[in-house]
Amino acid sequence: MTAEAGVRPGARTQFARRAVGSPGVRVAGRRLLAVIPVLWGVTFLTFIVMNMLPGDAAQELLGANATPAEVHQLEIQLHLNEPFWVRYGNWFGGLLKGDLGTSLSGGQPVTTILGQRLPVTAELLLYAFVASVVFAVGLAVLAARRPNGIGDRISMAVSMMGLSIAPYVLAPVLVYLFAIKVGWFPAIGYTPLTQNPVENIKSLTLPAASIGFPLFAVYTRLLRADIVEQMQREDYIVTARAKGVPPWRILIRHALRNSLFGLITLVGLNFGTLIGAVAIIEPIFSLPGVGAILIESINNRDLPVVEGIVVIFAVITVAANLLADLLYVALDPRIRYERAAV
Amino acid sequence: MSAPLFRPAGPQTLLPPEVTAPKRARTRRAENWTHDLKITIPLGLLILIAGACFLWPLVYPVPKPTGGSILDAGLPPFSPGHLFGTDAVGNDIFSRILYGGRVSFEVGVSVTAIGLVIGGLFGVIAGYLGGITDAVISRVLDVLIAFPALVLALAIAEGLGPSELHVIWALSFFGIPAVGRVARAATLALREQTFMLAARLAGTPRWRVVLRHILPNIMPQLMTFSLLGIGVIIILEGALSYLGLGIPPPNPSWGSMIANGQQTLSSQPELVLIPSAFLFVTVLSLNLLGDALRERWGVR
Amino acid sequence: MRTVCLGLAAIVIAACSSSSSSTPGNNTSAAPASGGSLTVLEWSGFAGDWPAGLDPATNTNGAADQSQMDAIYGELFELGPRGVIIPDLATGYAFSNGGKTITIDIRQGVKFTDGTPFNAAAVVWNIKRDLASSCTCKPVWLVKSVTATSPSTVQVNLLVPDGAFINQIFDSTADWIASPAAVQKMGEKAFALKPVGAGPFVVVSDTPSSVLVLKKNPGYWQKGRPYLDSLTFKAVGGDEAAYEALLAGNGQVYEDMSTPALLKQAAQHFNVENQLSTSPYDLQLNTLTPPFSNVKARQAIYAATNFAPILQHIFSNLYPMTEGFTGPGGICYQPTVPGYPSYNLALAKSLVRQLGGLTVNLGTIQNLVAQYTTEALQTEWQQAGIKVTISSYPLASLIAQFTGKKWQAMVQTAGSYDPAAGVGVGFRFSSLSPFSGVHDPHLDGLLNQAAATVDQSQRCQFYNQAAQYIAQKYYGPFYFAFAPANIAVRGVTGPGLSQPLPAVVVTPTILWEDVSYNKAAS
Repeated sequence: MTAEAGVRPGARTQFARRAVGSPGVRVAGRRLLAVIPVLWGVTFLTFIVMNMLPGDAAQELLGANATPAEVHQLEIQLHLNEPFWVRYGNWFGGLLKGDLGTSLSGGQPVTTILGQRLPVTAELLLYAFVASVVFAVGLAVLAARRPNGIGDRISMAVSMMGLSIAPYVLAPVLVYLFAIKVGWFPAIGYTPLTQNPVENIKSLTLPAASIGFPLFAVYTRLLRADIVEQMQREDYIVTARAKGVPPWRILIRHALRNSLFGLITLVGLNFGTLIGAVAIIEPIFSLPGVGAILIESINNRDLPVVEGIVVIFAVITVAANLLADLLYVALDPRIRYERAAV
Repeated sequence: MSAPLFRPAGPQTLLPPEVTAPKRARTRRAENWTHDLKITIPLGLLILIAGACFLWPLVYPVPKPTGGSILDAGLPPFSPGHLFGTDAVGNDIFSRILYGGRVSFEVGVSVTAIGLVIGGLFGVIAGYLGGITDAVISRVLDVLIAFPALVLALAIAEGLGPSELHVIWALSFFGIPAVGRVARAATLALREQTFMLAARLAGTPRWRVVLRHILPNIMPQLMTFSLLGIGVIIILEGALSYLGLGIPPPNPSWGSMIANGQQTLSSQPELVLIPSAFLFVTVLSLNLLGDALRERWGVR
Repeated sequence: MRTVCLGLAAIVIAACSSSSSSTPGNNTSAAPASGGSLTVLEWSGFAGDWPAGLDPATNTNGAADQSQMDAIYGELFELGPRGVIIPDLATGYAFSNGGKTITIDIRQGVKFTDGTPFNAAAVVWNIKRDLASSCTCKPVWLVKSVTATSPSTVQVNLLVPDGAFINQIFDSTADWIASPAAVQKMGEKAFALKPVGAGPFVVVSDTPSSVLVLKKNPGYWQKGRPYLDSLTFKAVGGDEAAYEALLAGNGQVYEDMSTPALLKQAAQHFNVENQLSTSPYDLQLNTLTPPFSNVKARQAIYAATNFAPILQHIFSNLYPMTEGFTGPGGICYQPTVPGYPSYNLALAKSLVRQLGGLTVNLGTIQNLVAQYTTEALQTEWQQAGIKVTISSYPLASLIAQFTGKKWQAMVQTAGSYDPAAGVGVGFRFSSLSPFSGVHDPHLDGLLNQAAATVDQSQRCQFYNQAAQYIAQKYYGPFYFAFAPANIAVRGVTGPGLSQPLPAVVVTPTILWEDVSYNKAAS
């Protein structure tokens, strides 16, 4: 229904306009649009980078016994001789249809390989994140209860250690202490969830701890700083205190809830960067995840597999960021209306 | 950072002591001193380690970090002439720690500097100018952050050969967007302030505003972020060397020493423990220093 | 067969040193315990990697996965302790027609685990399929025809005589016979993930390059075998990780440990079984490009290289020095070569001066011990005035170095149980091999003659001449005949685990049907 000049639009139009025009939806819409070029940029960049590598899969697959004619034959078969744009176009077209191609070093479809391995990595990362957030919340709350008190100082010391230790240094220590010395967890290997849930958790605990401890450290510091600042600066907290609300309640129901937003954003940001940590930790523990084959695939010039992994992680990173952003906008009314001015 | 308008009733545990109670001069000086310790101790440690890495070999002879005689292989720590012992080919470990440390510091500082300059510049421009420029720059930064630096590092190491310079390039890919985002956010926050508006109204040219108002105000934030960033970069360089993508053998790097040592962890644990300890203490000092400066400068 | 991959991956195993003191205490005279399950750890860079599945015709990793293949398929002929050829699924062989025809007798009354008969027709079907596949793992024979002359006899006719045919079977995919009915029924892709053979074990589940779970084949042809009820293969990241896993009880066997320091450590808790070496370490020199196109430069390398301290300090003196491409575990073993140019630092220095300086790029595969070796060589050569840069490459880049012909000197291994098989001498020294730095028709002639002769002692004579010729022309020095070691917890017995086995290609093929695990003894 159009609005002629001077005539007020009907109720339904007004509602529709307000819904679409509401700042929250506008922000969300803009975010979604922004995601597309980012995804494209990442996949394109990966394709370029991988093509810079010397040697190609055909030579590697056939090995030294192959004659140049055989190598050429395989190259044609694998479409490796076609110009860059054609190859990229083929791959991207396939991507949009959900087909990620076939692995050059085994002939298995990339989607199958990723389908087998992704759940392992996903479970590992989920475990690491959940554990680190839970422990971070616990420790941060304890710390913020009495700033500069004993609990605070201890938790700050612990988190400072976590920030300074590298996963590849922590992992062997954990294996030595908990797998060899006390034998609570296996040193290597993965038991699928469907086979034995208890063994599954045990087989992922040490790897998740190696990845999660630095994360836990970061989150603890962030949460604690945020909560303490809220307790000190925010007027509504002071009001609540004045009204006689018990301090624990304020801490948890108000300060913590608001601080979690900042944490969520950070978690979203972190997700994609963990591809590096996973590539180091999974081989150490012999977990059959995507990190384990990432490096091997790059060494084998197995382009489809590498691209597949990068795309998945890019999508997850971008999606996680988007979700965090949207959550932020949706839950914090102030942002919604502030953003209207942006 | 303003104090609350009135003091709330109840236990004074939610507010810092400086705010709730007046201080006597002596206690205030004592506190200043403890605050100073927070800065001086890590700073001192860092200067000690970095100084040793870069200067010790110049003033006091140490064996070369590579080309050790195989007849001296596998000596334990505290052997004569080899404070930390030797590795499997006879290289002196103490010397390798020093030279490896050089790599860590060089890479850490270079990548951070590049990040500050390039990332900071683009971040400020994006934040200040807004609009299309902001949109484009932000998208580029998003792509750089979502792109796994590991893949790039691997590609560079394979394609161009592993070397310290290539590690710096690869890690800058990661460092630039990190600083860029912080710079942009800080600029955005600053942009809304009244004094900025006043400056524009007074007719100050844009570049002057950036130089005289924005940069000095975001510097503390960027500096503390970067200081913490050095620690992250050092750990990442270690990771790349761990995977064999960083400093090529036989040149030492703490990361490759750790990786190699881990392969004989059960028989010669000191080959892992020593570089791990140095890595840990260095990064810890950087983090403590960054934290202390952040407190000092009142940065969020 | 993927000889390339094997050969280059062999260098990774090359670092293997076996402790000269194989821990006593496995009383093999007691009757082997029946039952039990065993978890075997394999290094993910070699045997613990099977991305293309376990079909002999398509497994691009070829003989690297010989342990898994042997457990599922058994073998036509097996190489047993002391180099004895054991008839497994084949019962005998005969050469005729001057070495151009080989007749193989197939064991009768055997069935695949899907119930279909194991006969000559099945073997012929497999060999034809292997030869026709596009896999680099395919057999290298020049076959004119292969037919089943009777339900239990297979006749192979070659275009050229091949005296090494049976020895070549050990690392050939033709040794593993798949059930034709199963391949046709399941389709190749599915078969590769859940193969069907006539070996001692049946596949229960398979996660490629990660975990392979097998259980006892109830219909196995050898009564009373296998001893084990179940066998699981797990991939592991490296020697240290495997050692820790063994300590934590996550496995009972680790194949092919290569880190010398860990072998000493492992000997305190486990049984370390040293194999008999068949593959010496060698230093390849590229004679096709400078600097090693100049014979003086090659001579300088021989003179500047002293392997004894390397053997002592990196490899703990665990292997015998050698001057040729044969090892004590293989045929035609000859440790010394008459006229072999030995270490002479003064000569090296003078040669370098005559050359006006010598700059070398020395490469090897990305493996810790291999790297240590190149670093030690660098130090030694620098004493003679040679400028050395060292590089280490992952497998794909290493291949690229060879095919790009840019390499100058490479630390590798050469030799196998039979020099004419697998990563034998031709792989590194024949003019036809892209991995060779030598193009010499005289040497080619010697090697071809040796391969074609059926009489073993005559073959050995040719190989001795070849080793002497290589030394005369300074084509590349040999260090020592290394051999990998298998680690097992106490209570595990079997060929390759409590008894040494000659390596087929670098590593031996463990005969899983003869392996038993007595937990009480551990």
